[in-house]
Amino acid sequence: MSTTFYHHLQNLLDQGMTVAVATITDVKGSVPREVGAKMIVHPYGKHVGTIGGGCGEADVIRAGLDVIQDGEPRNVHVDLTEEINMNSLGVCGGIMNVFVEQWHAADEAA
Amino acid sequence: MNQQVLQAIVASIDNRESVALISVTEADGAFAGNVGHHAALWLDATRAPVGDLALGELTEQIYTDARRALDDRKHRRLDYTTTEGSLKIFVEVQAQPPHLIIVGAGHIAVPLAAVAKLNDFEVTVLDDRPLYANVARFPSADRVIAGPFRAELSQLRGGKPTFDNHTYVVLVTRGHQYDIDSLLEVLDDPLAYIGMIGSQRRIRAVFELLEKDQGIPAAKFDRIYAPIGIDIGARTPAEIAICIMAEMINVMRKGPALSMSEQIRRERIARRERAQEKTL
Repeated sequence: MSTTFYHHLQNLLDQGMTVAVATITDVKGSVPREVGAKMIVHPYGKHVGTIGGGCGEADVIRAGLDVIQDGEPRNVHVDLTEEINMNSLGVCGGIMNVFVEQWHAADEAA
Repeated sequence: MNQQVLQAIVASIDNRESVALISVTEADGAFAGNVGHHAALWLDATRAPVGDLALGELTEQIYTDARRALDDRKHRRLDYTTTEGSLKIFVEVQAQPPHLIIVGAGHIAVPLAAVAKLNDFEVTVLDDRPLYANVARFPSADRVIAGPFRAELSQLRGGKPTFDNHTYVVLVTRGHQYDIDSLLEVLDDPLAYIGMIGSQRRIRAVFELLEKDQGIPAAKFDRIYAPIGIDIGARTPAEIAICIMAEMINVMRKGPALSMSEQIRRERIARRERAQEKTL
C-alpha cells in the first residue's frame, strides 16, 4: 500500500482537497498494524488505507476531521488494552500512538 | 513547502529509489512551532534534502540519524532534548521495493509472480521458452524476459558487478540442469535470498555433485534455501508459491519460521565440523 499512498494523497491535493494524514509512530504490545502504517482521513468519508480498523480507527478519524478543520497537528493515543470479554470489540492488548496532521493544496501565493 | 516534499516523495517512489519522510510529531519549548514540519531525505549525503525542518543546528544531526534509518530500511522514532526544548521526530522510510527474479516460467512461477506483486515486490520472470515467458501469462509482472538463463541473468545486473542485497532469486526451471546453471551464475552475489526447488534427496545429491565435480566449497551452499519454502504441507502449484512467498517474507522480516532447507543445512555444517575435527 505504501507505494500508492502518496499517489492518492497527491491526487486529493491536486483536486484541491484538504485532508488529514494519520501515521502510526509508536506501538506497545499487540496492535492491529505496524509502525509506519498510514491512513488518509477524507472530509466526506472516502478514507484511504487503514491504521487497524475498529474503535481505535474511529477515534483517529474523529481527530482527523478536527485536524482538517483547525489545521493543528496532534497525537492520538489509541488504547486497545481493555479487558477481553464477549462484549469488547477489537481488543488487541496494545497501545499505539498515531500522529495526525493536515495536508492541503498549495496556497495560491505559493 | 510540504507540497514540494510530497512531490519529491512521489517522484522517488516512481523512480524506485529509497527515500525518507522526516516529520516533527511532538515538540515543546523553542521548537513548539515546528510540529508538522517535514523534509524528504535520501541516502546520498551529497543530495540536498527537500523541505525545511527549521530546527537550526539540530537539523544535521537529525539528517544523520535519519540516513541510518534509511540504511536499515526501517521506520524510526527519534527523540532529542536540548536546553531549548525537546522534540520527537518520526522517520518514515519508503524503501526501494525488493526485486524478485523468478527463473523458470512454469506452473509455480504464475501464482508466485502474482502473490509477490501483491506483497509489493518488483517482479521479473525469466525463461528460455517464449511460449512460457510472455506478458499474457504474467500480466502483473514488471518484466518478462525470454532468453538464455545465464546470459539474461547477467544482463539483469544492469551493468553492476553483482545483484544487490534487495534482490531475491527463485530457481524453478523445468530441469535441474537449468536451475544449477542459473545458481552458478548468482552464487557469489550478495543476494537477499536464493531459493531452489527440489526434493531433499535431489538437493543433497546436487550439492554433493557440485562440491566434488566443480570443487565448490560446501559452505557456499549454506545460504541457499533448498528445498525451497516453509513447510505448510503445500501440494498444488499455488500452495507451493505461497510456501515460497512465506519463506521470502520470513527472510525479509527476520521472522522465526524454520525453512525446509534447515535440516540439510545443519547436516552439511555438522559434516564439515566433523571433517575439520578429523584433520586437527
